Amino acid sequence: MGSVKFQARVLALALFLLGLGSILYQVYVQHVPLSQDEKDPVWVIDAQVGFSARPNKPVKVRMFVPPLGSGFTTLNESFISNNYGVNVNEEKGNRQVTWSSRRAEGRQFLYYRLMLTHRYAETREVEPGPQFRQAPNIEGPDRLAAEALLEPIRQHSADVETFIRETIKRVNELQNDNAQLLLGSDVSARNRARVIDLLLGLSHIPIEPVHTLRLAESQEQEPELWLRSYNGRQWLYFNPMNGQQGLPEDRLVWWRGWEPLMQVDGGKSADMVFSVHRNEMSALQLAQTLRLKDASSFIDFSLYELPLPAQQLYRTLIMIPIGVILVLLMRSLVGMETLGTFTPVLIALAFRETQVIYGVLLFVFITALGLSLRSYLEHLKLQLLPRLSVVLTFVVMVMALMSLLGYKLGIGSGLSVGLFPMVVLTMVIERTSIVWEERGGSQSLKIGMGTLFVAVLSHLLMVWQPLTYFVFTFPGVLLCVAAFMVMMGHYRGYRVTELVRFRAMVDGDKH
Amino acid sequence: MFWSKTRKALRARGVMGINQRNGDYILRYNKRSLYPLVDDKLKTKKMALEAGIRVPELYGAIRTEQGISTLRKVVDTHRDFVIKPAQGAGGDGIMVIADRFEHYFRSASGRIITQDELEHHISGILSGIYSLGGHRDEALIEYRVRSTELFNRISYEGVPDIRIIVLKGYPVAAMLRLPTRQSQGKANLHQGAIGVGLDLSTGVTLGGTWHNQRIERHPDTANAVAGLTVPDWEDCLALAARCYDLTGLGYLGVDLVMDRDHGPMMLELNARPGLNIQIAMDDGLLRRCGIVEKHLDALKGEDRPAAERVEFSKQQFAVAGVVPQAAEEQQ
Repeated sequence: MGSVKFQARVLALALFLLGLGSILYQVYVQHVPLSQDEKDPVWVIDAQVGFSARPNKPVKVRMFVPPLGSGFTTLNESFISNNYGVNVNEEKGNRQVTWSSRRAEGRQFLYYRLMLTHRYAETREVEPGPQFRQAPNIEGPDRLAAEALLEPIRQHSADVETFIRETIKRVNELQNDNAQLLLGSDVSARNRARVIDLLLGLSHIPIEPVHTLRLAESQEQEPELWLRSYNGRQWLYFNPMNGQQGLPEDRLVWWRGWEPLMQVDGGKSADMVFSVHRNEMSALQLAQTLRLKDASSFIDFSLYELPLPAQQLYRTLIMIPIGVILVLLMRSLVGMETLGTFTPVLIALAFRETQVIYGVLLFVFITALGLSLRSYLEHLKLQLLPRLSVVLTFVVMVMALMSLLGYKLGIGSGLSVGLFPMVVLTMVIERTSIVWEERGGSQSLKIGMGTLFVAVLSHLLMVWQPLTYFVFTFPGVLLCVAAFMVMMGHYRGYRVTELVRFRAMVDGDKH
Repeated sequence: MFWSKTRKALRARGVMGINQRNGDYILRYNKRSLYPLVDDKLKTKKMALEAGIRVPELYGAIRTEQGISTLRKVVDTHRDFVIKPAQGAGGDGIMVIADRFEHYFRSASGRIITQDELEHHISGILSGIYSLGGHRDEALIEYRVRSTELFNRISYEGVPDIRIIVLKGYPVAAMLRLPTRQSQGKANLHQGAIGVGLDLSTGVTLGGTWHNQRIERHPDTANAVAGLTVPDWEDCLALAARCYDLTGLGYLGVDLVMDRDHGPMMLELNARPGLNIQIAMDDGLLRRCGIVEKHLDALKGEDRPAAERVEFSKQQFAVAGVVPQAAEEQQ
């Protein structure tokens, strides 16, 4: 017996850990939202390209778009253009879209829209970059100025990281003559980056410009230039304007390299406007959207993968163990008596179709009617089987009559009883009758009330939205429930009703 | 906190709860395959007869609707008899015919019953009204036990019976069940009968329980229930102890009746005996079962004869201070 108990405990523990593990995996690894209402920010980035087409000339517009999988999940990406062919190609880690048209006239507008979210994003492996490059060949005053700048930098730095930081600092010291000479009159980020690149190039440190967009609500935004360098383990990001290190979380890398964002052939006075909007989307909806896009998400191998009607069914079915555990608790812990073992769960399921208040009224009314008919038939000395048959036939007739009456009175569909509640109802009447025969009226009334109470409770539990969502999304809950049930199998404590029942034995002590 | 205090107090007294009874005793000691032996009274009776255990004589058994016509033949030779379902529970469906009146029957409570009513009742039994789960059943017609006058003072109609709980052949608890007006002559505690605890060593009645409360007097006759001695107590205990050997059920409720002429008889066996006996005895079953289990562990599975087991129980479960009253005083 002891070893059996131990086995049961081990089994329960195993089930529990398995269930808990699967839930934790879903929450922490798959980022499955814990509740249906969990919202995630969704960034909508609109890029508008405008230019004037030259008459009678083919038009070709090339623009960089963000590479896929750069710390974000792409929900939707669209290229909107009239009469343009669209082609997207990938090159050296960049993505470029090419709009092309044989002929265009007047002002042209092309749109690119991208929807991004942080959730479910997979972190890509870092692709290594070069760590050495040839020094560029420059002569004359530029060379002297560069050497003069590099001298203190070498002294003040220990490694690549500090070297770059120091370089950026020096270049940004605009009153420095050497820096001024190299920069000329152009102090734009692009030019500063160019000078920084030059200096680092002389020290054989490779560097690469990246152009980023800030994910913040904004109407017009210019891509911000950053520099990055690979130090053998990871990419280091620097802001060439102020030496700030590390790319902030809300930056999206749009493209990298020295090429301009956009090139227009066969057009002039091109401009480009970025606008960023923040939307909210429920995490679940997000996952479903991703699923449609065939992107990997937690939907894989979950119940959400089922076709919708099957999902609907399983949303109900998967809650049955929750109802069952309630019955188990009510019976084993509280000591409430119910008809049959799991009849309350069946009644609770029937309540789904009839609505709970109407369902309770219907059950009480029809069961009472059926039972009174039963007692009359007993008076007629009919045998058990014919008696029950008559009762059931009568019940069906009453239900049909009620539906008809409801329809005629215009109460409508609320009164129509589905097949399932009908079957459950007849079963309840049969069982109540048997209890009535075996244990008398007051007992059957008590049991009937207990059944109804537990049924209503389990119905409320089984349709409680947050719980339904949780169990459906994390089926591992059922393993935990099973673990609890196994443990209940060895519960030997008193039921609450027994505390009342045996109270006389305790009171006796006090005399 | 009421709950935890009561819970602790009950634990301290060794009171057994339903969960514990089901899990640690019934499930553990009673093999499922043995249940039919006790759920079907016909089988129990046959088995008991073979083992030489006294049971009420079986006049006949009716198995089919056609068989009902043989009723007359069976009962013609007997003036009084009892009709009961073979698989009934809780004393339901039992009809006691005490006498005849012209062509009618007279029940124990004095009601006149026609032959038709009797046949309808049997047909009800056959269709399974009274059997657990509504299965088809058989009707037994058997000897009517006549109550000893000793119990007349503390019972109302019907026949009191004695319930003895036997663990692995060791009697652990016993009570006398007295019918009341409310229980309609049935000795079923759930239907309002009284349970009176018995001292295992002497068979002397202790306090009583009625609807889970402790009582001193019978509600119908107003006589004190304590202090009476059950006659042939030794026989009762021996009978109960042997029922374990008979069935192999380790946790068993043995129901005995005391017949005026034939002494104690085994009426039926119960594989899921109720827990109210604890209130009647004012002692916890868990405590008593623990003593027996400890003893069994010490024996290391060695079987002991029934007499020895009874002796052990009498020593262990004697209630201090119970003095049997003189026989004449009881009359």
